[in-house]
Amino acid sequence: MLENQSKELSENREDEITRQLCANGLFMKTTEVEAKLDEGNIQEAESSLREGLSLNSEEARALLGRLEYQRGNLEGALRLFEGIDLQAEIQRLQASAPPPEKPVTKKNRPREPQQQPVPQHAASLVLEAIYLKAKSLQKLGRTTEAARECKSVLDSVEKVFQQGISDAQVDTRLQETVSHAVELLPALFKDSGDYQEAISAYRRALLSQWNLDNDSCARIQKDFAVFLLHSGVEASPPSLASQVEGSYTPRNNLEEAILLLMILIKKFNSGKAKWDPSVIEHITFALSLCSQTSVVAKQLEEVMPGVFTRVERWNSLALCYSAAGQTSAAVNLLRKSLHKHEQPDDLVALLLAAKLCSEEPSLAAEGAGYAERGVKNAQGMDEHLKGVGLRMLGLCLGKQAKVPTSDFERSRLQSESLKALDGAIAFEHNNPDLIFELGVQYAEQRNLKAASRYAKEFIDATGGSVLKGWRFLALVLSAQQRFSEAEVVTDAALDETAKWDQGPLLRLKAKLKISQSNPTEAVETYRYLLALVQAQRKSFGPLRTLSQMEEDKVNEFEVWHGLAYLYSSLSHWNDVEVCRMWEGRKEFKPALAAFLDGLLLDESSVPCKVAVGALLCERGKEYQPTLPVARSLLSDALRIDPTNRKAWYYLGMVHKHDGRITDATDCFQAASMLEESDPIESFSTIL
Amino acid sequence: MSESASSHDSPPAPTIAGDSQTTAANESDTNAKCQTAIQSLSSIVTTTTIPSTISLLLDDSAVSAAISSLLQRPDSGSGDNNLCRWLYDTFQSTEPSLHLLVLRFVPLIAGLYLSRVPLRQPQAGFEAVLLALYAHETTSRADQAVTVNIPDLSHPSIYHESKGPAKNNSTCLNIAVVSSTLDPHGTIRESTRRARIVGVALELYYSEIARMPRESKLDFCGACEKWAGQNGETRAGVVPEEEESVAVARSEKDGGRIPLPWELVQPMMRILGHCLMGMKVEDREVKEAASKACQSLYLRALHDINPKAILAAGSLLRLREMALDPKNQIDHTEISNDNVLSV
Repeated sequence: MLENQSKELSENREDEITRQLCANGLFMKTTEVEAKLDEGNIQEAESSLREGLSLNSEEARALLGRLEYQRGNLEGALRLFEGIDLQAEIQRLQASAPPPEKPVTKKNRPREPQQQPVPQHAASLVLEAIYLKAKSLQKLGRTTEAARECKSVLDSVEKVFQQGISDAQVDTRLQETVSHAVELLPALFKDSGDYQEAISAYRRALLSQWNLDNDSCARIQKDFAVFLLHSGVEASPPSLASQVEGSYTPRNNLEEAILLLMILIKKFNSGKAKWDPSVIEHITFALSLCSQTSVVAKQLEEVMPGVFTRVERWNSLALCYSAAGQTSAAVNLLRKSLHKHEQPDDLVALLLAAKLCSEEPSLAAEGAGYAERGVKNAQGMDEHLKGVGLRMLGLCLGKQAKVPTSDFERSRLQSESLKALDGAIAFEHNNPDLIFELGVQYAEQRNLKAASRYAKEFIDATGGSVLKGWRFLALVLSAQQRFSEAEVVTDAALDETAKWDQGPLLRLKAKLKISQSNPTEAVETYRYLLALVQAQRKSFGPLRTLSQMEEDKVNEFEVWHGLAYLYSSLSHWNDVEVCRMWEGRKEFKPALAAFLDGLLLDESSVPCKVAVGALLCERGKEYQPTLPVARSLLSDALRIDPTNRKAWYYLGMVHKHDGRITDATDCFQAASMLEESDPIESFSTIL
Repeated sequence: MSESASSHDSPPAPTIAGDSQTTAANESDTNAKCQTAIQSLSSIVTTTTIPSTISLLLDDSAVSAAISSLLQRPDSGSGDNNLCRWLYDTFQSTEPSLHLLVLRFVPLIAGLYLSRVPLRQPQAGFEAVLLALYAHETTSRADQAVTVNIPDLSHPSIYHESKGPAKNNSTCLNIAVVSSTLDPHGTIRESTRRARIVGVALELYYSEIARMPRESKLDFCGACEKWAGQNGETRAGVVPEEEESVAVARSEKDGGRIPLPWELVQPMMRILGHCLMGMKVEDREVKEAASKACQSLYLRALHDINPKAILAAGSLLRLREMALDPKNQIDHTEISNDNVLSV
């Protein structure tokens, strides 16, 4: 049709301000035809183009349609495009296409350009006309029709160019139209609400060969990922035809979206596509939903330098690592970003650093520093975060009080911790977590009345939905020697708790029964607990997560030990033997080794010190030389935790074995005094 | 439900009859169920006329508004509440279109329920509805967790090729749990599982979100803001009264702030993501409500110093900001606006 037309058109240097029409080397000002179009004289406009530019009727209409489209006269454009029988044109093109049996390979590639299999220019004209028709319909809000037209562009391309077009031969304008149509089609289906069609259009765009440039391919991949993440429509898995053996095929929306986003980031990193900042946000969102923030961190680490400032990068990485439980990695990053030469006043980083440090006694002092800086910087718009800073300060000081250098230091830290938490509650009177922490702090200082008030307030505020609240109240009551009330609370908590989560409550209940000299019922409770723990061990696959109890699982060994202790006090010696058999690990040497390992890992661990001290002391009856070691370990433990009743008791035993009866008496007295305000399990187990 | 659970059970059944397998008996059964639901609703909602078919009822904003205002009454969640009973019965009918009708009110029910918990009101009615949703999900997931594979790009996929040698299959994928296995709860209402039960109801709501009306989404955004409790950042200087009405005063002042564990935050974020980026029709009101809710949740995440929630909510906020930036509103499918038009 138009094969003879091969003039290079881009070389004209005409005045750019007025639009021009151009064909066959002839030019025409648009104003001449615009006037006719505005009067509605399509025929006249068309004939003046045919004469002025020596075009045929279809070409003239297509050109006029484009002119109208560019002028924003969409209805007019549509009328013009509808005047062309585009389907007939397509069929003609198809007829001229050679049979598909002859694939174009490198060997038998056509030698001469005139053997070009399909008249690309003619195809380009027709396809552009259909595409602009689709665009006009889209802009007029007729998206369903627009989608139909746009789809016919792609269908035609597939039919006409069955064996593909080699890169060297492709007409740039044809390629442009095709790329546009590929990108527009899924958007049109999406807008018209035809979601299943949109999904197949996206997949068709990405899985077929359209010779798209990297940027438009990246845009389509991103749009599809966003669609998969947020449309709320579940896409069926990709068709079997598109699956290649051995390659990964996503099973659902989230998987497909994450795959596409990861591929995009890889493209950015290798410079294959232009960086799009929204992609990293999308993948952060998607992976956070799956709790895979360590994968986000990996993606962030691979992002090319220069995209983020280093402080931005450190802070985002710290959030990712801390969400993934990798506290020390997060703290290290925050130290860098909060360095005085970086951004020492970044409030979110300060608060996060303080929070992470508050979980670790050895970091608590550092954390208190961050918290203080946070409080200082919570000003203006951020003033509402002052309470958070104070709360973190209180928590860090409270933790710091566990590794003090002296008694004086401890009480100073404890009272400062309380002061900070009290200050925080003025800002956040409605924050139940804060109420709980304040309660625990009071309990640690044996202000049991205040502690029980806060424990009750916490249960009220959370509607009893948080297990640790119930446990805390029961512990406070047990410390007040109100065992039967503590048991009532524990029973209430058991009612509110699903079976799987009842372990720690049952253990508490068993201990309360013992405290009330009711060993038979305690045995029953222990037996029930044992059954639960064993069932859990069998049925908990990796995919079952315990919502509230993750940190506080009941150890089976612990239950056997409790039972053994009970039976021995009941003089059921046979049963004790059974328990001991199970207890296996109660052998002296392995037990000692385990506790020593514990000590090596955490040299300030009071329970380990007391346990080793106790073991050595028991043994000391026959083997005197270990007694001084036991004595120094126990004294050490008491320096850290002077309220540790067991440590006092065993220190008394050491003195007794050594024959220092007065010292022994003092220790036993301290132990017995503490027993009167000792909770049944340590308060620090719940915070 | 979305994700892998869907590979086990059938895809969401189409609401419109047209399924050749549907027998006449089934159809009349469906009709009977729908008619029963409509009839019993008309005895509860008296302020407006109830349409005669379910498809009309789903889109009837007057009826929805009437039901919403009934739900918002102070005593609406009690065990003997007619509306709660109707919602419960309607959901039990296993009829997909009736399910949608109930799910539409999940934002309102969940919002009111959780915010009213500290007031110690009887809420057996709300609980029954929420537990019905939970039980439904438990059955349809058949003891399976909802998981996704985190792809490893060193293996080829349908969307990319990999230069690395094809290793021993793609079995070393990293599996992430999106929603853990559900334990059956029957009739027990354990308060420590409350967040999980409501979270699962929200997951179910999300699975049908594309079919939910905009008012329902607006209700949800409102609930999020209430739960986050960060709207009153400007502190009132008034000293709380020490009266009997402390509980009520607290609820009004704090606007229903609740503990927000991840099992709630996660489905909340997904729903907000949809409201911001996945709506069929551009809806400014919903988008603005969702972005306000997101802002509140972000502030709340900062107050809780919850890194995962900070990441998720922060991403949504930044994406919203980028979308509003005119620089990012280029239409890449537009043709070049040349001054010389050629054939």
